[in-house]
Amino acid sequence: MKLLHVAVWRLSLVMAVVLSVWAFSFYAAMMEEVDDETDDALEDFAELVIIRSLRGEHVPTAPTGSNNQYFQREVSPEYAAAHNAIDYEDREVFIKEKGETEPARVLTYIYRTDDGRYMELEVSAPHIDKEDLRRAIFYWSVFLYAALLVVLVVLNVWIFRRNIRPLYVLLDWLKRYRLGARNEPLVNPTKISEFRQLNEAARRYSERSEEVYEQQKQFIGNASHEMQTPLAVCLNRLDLLVDDETLSERQLGEILKVRRTLDNLTRLNRSLLLLCKIDNGQFPESSRVSFNALLNHYLPDYQTAYAHLHIGVRLHESGVFETDMNESLAAMLLTNLLKNAYVHNVRGGEIEINVTSTAVRISNMSDEGALDPSLIFMRFHHSRRREGSTGLGLSLVRAICRQYGLTVSYAYEGGRHVFEVRR
Amino acid sequence: MKILIVEDDRDLREIIAQSLEKERYVVEVAPDYRTAARKLAGYEYDCILLDIMLPDGNGLKLLEEKRKREKKCNVIILSAKDSIEDKVCGLDLGADDYLPKPFHLAELHARLKSVMRRKLRDGEAAVTCGNIAVYPDTFRVEVGGRPVELGRKEYDILLFFMYRVGRLVEKQVLAEAVWGDHIDQADNFDFVYAQMKNLRKRLKEAGATAEIKTVYGFGYKMTEP
Repeated sequence: MKLLHVAVWRLSLVMAVVLSVWAFSFYAAMMEEVDDETDDALEDFAELVIIRSLRGEHVPTAPTGSNNQYFQREVSPEYAAAHNAIDYEDREVFIKEKGETEPARVLTYIYRTDDGRYMELEVSAPHIDKEDLRRAIFYWSVFLYAALLVVLVVLNVWIFRRNIRPLYVLLDWLKRYRLGARNEPLVNPTKISEFRQLNEAARRYSERSEEVYEQQKQFIGNASHEMQTPLAVCLNRLDLLVDDETLSERQLGEILKVRRTLDNLTRLNRSLLLLCKIDNGQFPESSRVSFNALLNHYLPDYQTAYAHLHIGVRLHESGVFETDMNESLAAMLLTNLLKNAYVHNVRGGEIEINVTSTAVRISNMSDEGALDPSLIFMRFHHSRRREGSTGLGLSLVRAICRQYGLTVSYAYEGGRHVFEVRR
Repeated sequence: MKILIVEDDRDLREIIAQSLEKERYVVEVAPDYRTAARKLAGYEYDCILLDIMLPDGNGLKLLEEKRKREKKCNVIILSAKDSIEDKVCGLDLGADDYLPKPFHLAELHARLKSVMRRKLRDGEAAVTCGNIAVYPDTFRVEVGGRPVELGRKEYDILLFFMYRVGRLVEKQVLAEAVWGDHIDQADNFDFVYAQMKNLRKRLKEAGATAEIKTVYGFGYKMTEP
């Protein structure tokens, strides 16, 4: 939901409540005023009638030109005791002159004459049709609400367009921002101090993360680098030991096992260094590389090495995938994918490779189930721990792809792992 | 054969020296660039093992020094950097080989032998063991003076062992050396065994005196008669 929508939505909600309350209060205040005025007039009229009546003057039976009516009758003392002396009510009254009923305000007066009789006087005046008034107020409120809403939306859009633009410039910049990549500087001049602060914060944090990212990259590079010589010392001491003729077979076996582990560590270290170098773009020399040629070059080696698994390989070349990149990195990219296709296969399984001019797709049978695409390209993620596996193979694949503007994706389709490299 | 080891790490320097002395090389060591330059100015060496990251300067400068002084010794660069630029730069400046750290001593010996072979006979020279002679420049193999035809992988395996006579070679190491680093996760080495069987058969038929023995459970070792 956009900020503009949220603002308009909230304002319209608040306005609906405010306008309802206002309409109700307005109606109540109006009615009270009207009733008050009418009651005063009725009281005067009633008093006049009563005074005349008590004086024994002639009381006109018919209303005197106005719509006021009255009606007088004698009531029992019990009735008088049971009712209020003065009572107001709204009622439909039949007006003889018009021959129709109309809403009226009715005042009922009970008084005692000098001779002790109780009289009830009912005076009425036609009144505003409250139903009509309510309806009118309701319709006008709705109309006001709609009109205000339109004004509000227009006003908001205008304000947003004029004032919030720097926010959108900043958001756009953040969206395009890639850590560790070449980013254009943030250009977002504004007079609004909040946005200036926001710009400054964004700039500061991006610089800070660049710094940390760079340090981290350098740290991994330096750490791996510093380990090379100690590793060499360990390996070579074991090499010297292995040449010792007096070793028993068991001792030799143990030493070779340690050496193999050290070899794995060496490989891991080299892969880490390589990742750093790729991320730093330290593979400048590019040439035109054909993935078809590389696949045809490396496939036989893997077929030989994994012959015991009896895996069938089908290579379909419907196009030539050629791209400009460092050849050894291209080889690394493909051999890592090929190796995985063999290592994560099943005995007697199958590997299918499709090459078009825009994509290379390698799929292999597997009994492992789908892998998590968000994890497999992470460093040191192992789906199944294997001896000698560095856990860096797919990270390398992704780093190489990113370096040369290729994309690599994973899917699990019909019991097969499918890796696809696209340009 | 006189070799100068230029390496700042004391442990590594000692180990390499020890290993080379066992092979009856005459070994001198230098822990930094200054010592190395002084030694190079004063003495003659057949080969220099050169670490390029030295506490007091880049080892590559020693290569320029060597050229200026018109020294004929060979140079193998030992580097922890393993960067292509260093490698290209080093080889351009006249180094004969480039060995990234960490390496196996067997690998160092093999490279040393390979470099020496080229130096001693100016190229067209054989690596020999018993009556087997391999000519790496023309990919020829002779046993007792008669040519022997080998498959490509068989030849690669033989040459690998010719440079590592008397050393135990693990199947894993052999597979990676002959087939390539990309075979690093193989867990079954039947394919190595199959090639080895063919190679042994060919050598035996040709009457070779040296043989590649199986060290059961570990790998192989080539032995001189």
